[in-house]
Amino acid sequence: MRFSKKKLLFMFAIVVSGYLFIMVFPFLWIFITSFKTSGEIFGTGAFHVIPEDPTLKNYAIILFEKGILRAIVNSFVVAISTTIYVIVVASLCAYAISRFHFKGKSILLGLVLAVSMFPQMIITGPVYNLFYDLGWLNSYFVILPYSTITLPMAVWILVTHFNQIPLALEESAKIDGATRIQTLTKIVFPLAAPGVFTTAIITFIAAWNEFLLTITLNTESSFHTVPVAISFLRDQFSILWGEVAAATTIVTIPTLIIVLIFQRQIVSGLTSGGVKE
Amino acid sequence: MKQKLGFSGWLYLLPTLILIGIFSLWPVVQSVTYTLFDYKLNDQQKAGLYLNERFNTDLFNETALYIDLFLTEDLSNVTGNEDKVKVEEVLLKVDTAATSYTESQGVIDISKEERTEITNLYENTKVLIEDLNKKYTLTHADSLPLLVEDFDRSIIPSNFIGLQAYKDALGDKRVHTALWNTVLFTVVSVAIELVLGLGLALILNKAMFGQGLVRTTSLIPWAIPTAVAALMWSYLYDGTSGIVAHFFENLGLISQSQDLLLSQGGAMVSTILADVWKTTPYMALLLLAGLQNIPGSLYEAASIDGASKFKSFFSVTLPLLKSSILVALLFRTLDAFRVFDLIFVLTGGGPGGATETMSIYAYKAMFGQTNFGYGSVVVMIMFVCVAIIAIIFVRLLGTNLLDRD
Repeated sequence: MRFSKKKLLFMFAIVVSGYLFIMVFPFLWIFITSFKTSGEIFGTGAFHVIPEDPTLKNYAIILFEKGILRAIVNSFVVAISTTIYVIVVASLCAYAISRFHFKGKSILLGLVLAVSMFPQMIITGPVYNLFYDLGWLNSYFVILPYSTITLPMAVWILVTHFNQIPLALEESAKIDGATRIQTLTKIVFPLAAPGVFTTAIITFIAAWNEFLLTITLNTESSFHTVPVAISFLRDQFSILWGEVAAATTIVTIPTLIIVLIFQRQIVSGLTSGGVKE
Repeated sequence: MKQKLGFSGWLYLLPTLILIGIFSLWPVVQSVTYTLFDYKLNDQQKAGLYLNERFNTDLFNETALYIDLFLTEDLSNVTGNEDKVKVEEVLLKVDTAATSYTESQGVIDISKEERTEITNLYENTKVLIEDLNKKYTLTHADSLPLLVEDFDRSIIPSNFIGLQAYKDALGDKRVHTALWNTVLFTVVSVAIELVLGLGLALILNKAMFGQGLVRTTSLIPWAIPTAVAALMWSYLYDGTSGIVAHFFENLGLISQSQDLLLSQGGAMVSTILADVWKTTPYMALLLLAGLQNIPGSLYEAASIDGASKFKSFFSVTLPLLKSSILVALLFRTLDAFRVFDLIFVLTGGGPGGATETMSIYAYKAMFGQTNFGYGSVVVMIMFVCVAIIAIIFVRLLGTNLLDRD
């Protein structure tokens, strides 16, 4: 049996738009809710598409009373510092793996892969005790154990990228009399930059989204990051959906901007983690 | 030619090794140790890993002080001369014992002789107080017997229990339920994600239009924090104001909208649906990348040989997509098996433990009940499962996962 081209195109269009609708609808609905009054949300207006009496009150409460701004600042501090140190550490490691022969390389790679598969829960208990003894609970030191989640992934993606840079370029630079440092700064860094950048974005998103370590190690609300702060908006007795919606809308914006600007890098980072083609 | 990594070259690896060592490997070893102890942070006698008996000098000294004080005060109530002498004897013993530990602080190791001495002191004092309480009306009649027990409590028994906690866990119904919930959640959500993701990838691979738009839209659910997505869905599923719950009710899938999050089956379905929503796009993107690597010439060759579309899917697409599918499945299965944020925020493991997974139970045991020992056992069971899953997938993939040369 053969579909005509028009029919096929029509079918694709329906499936694709259905998919897009399902993906976008939750965000859209949250966005609409954020402008509704709580009377409308809990009353008959709960399912109205257009708010009867649009209000910005939810945003005002979330921004000025519930301290969501503090959480956003914390998230930026934590995610940016994690990204910086993880990228430096992972680049060094991935460069050595990609460019040198050494004993135990496959053990190291196996280890990196294994750590990326650990259930995070396994490190929280001991790290909690370590941080308790060091007096590091409720501090930005939480970025150090973030390495369990981000470092193996970063090393893995970077090795793939570094392997794509031909070794011959470095060798010819050496023959032309370039020093080791010059080779690095003039040849390797410029060629590696796109891969490093891709890895940085994936690391940033992973650190931004981290939940378990922050909720266990940083119990004080002044050190909560966005995901943890937002989970505390849902308390057992009163759930103010208007405020939840406003908060969700606000914290989705940074992610949205990152995705819109860097989607190519994200896709390349996601797909380069797998097997060698 | 690649160079050999010299001594200075190891400096490249050092920071990674240190970080992984401290924050990934050492905690695993530590967690294994925790499982062998009855380790509870909120219990003074169990708040550490005590292979041998220990002695809590702070508690002992404090108790000695009060016993001394109270007995001396009650000495006037003791009329019998013989008993008076007995009380003074015990008081002397308490004083001697107390003075030998005044220098010590906190929890210390003690020798067998010291331990016998303390036990004797405890027993003598106890007998004396019981005796006195029978014969006379003491001012501190109620507090003394309670107080003397603290002598006994200042000896901290070893909380090493070997493999007992594993035995308990294997017989623990809550562990069984949690394991079953985890497996159910993982298998169902990953299976749905694979089918939908593959279908979507096939369509997108053929579609002439909309690829960019779909890719952008797909990345957003993947990129937002799981906790945020979970909170969003908890609103959509809400019994009174949730539009999805309302929609399901109108469709007749549930009898009333409250059932979605408040009934056992409904909660599991809701969690799976939320997970499918968040990760199907990710699956589709991974598979789409795999599809785009299959050369078009293979399909042409297949169609020249007279293969139908259907046939070429099974003999060209699937075999060539095998490693992409396995990698995607591996990462998704492990992620689903370790699921925490989504369930923690959406249902908290409820109602009545219907969505409680291994991670959630471990978290509740460790940070809710501060039972680090048993919590670690639950984590360890999960760890073993994760290891088995990983080994199976890596075997299926062959060696090319680790081949980075």
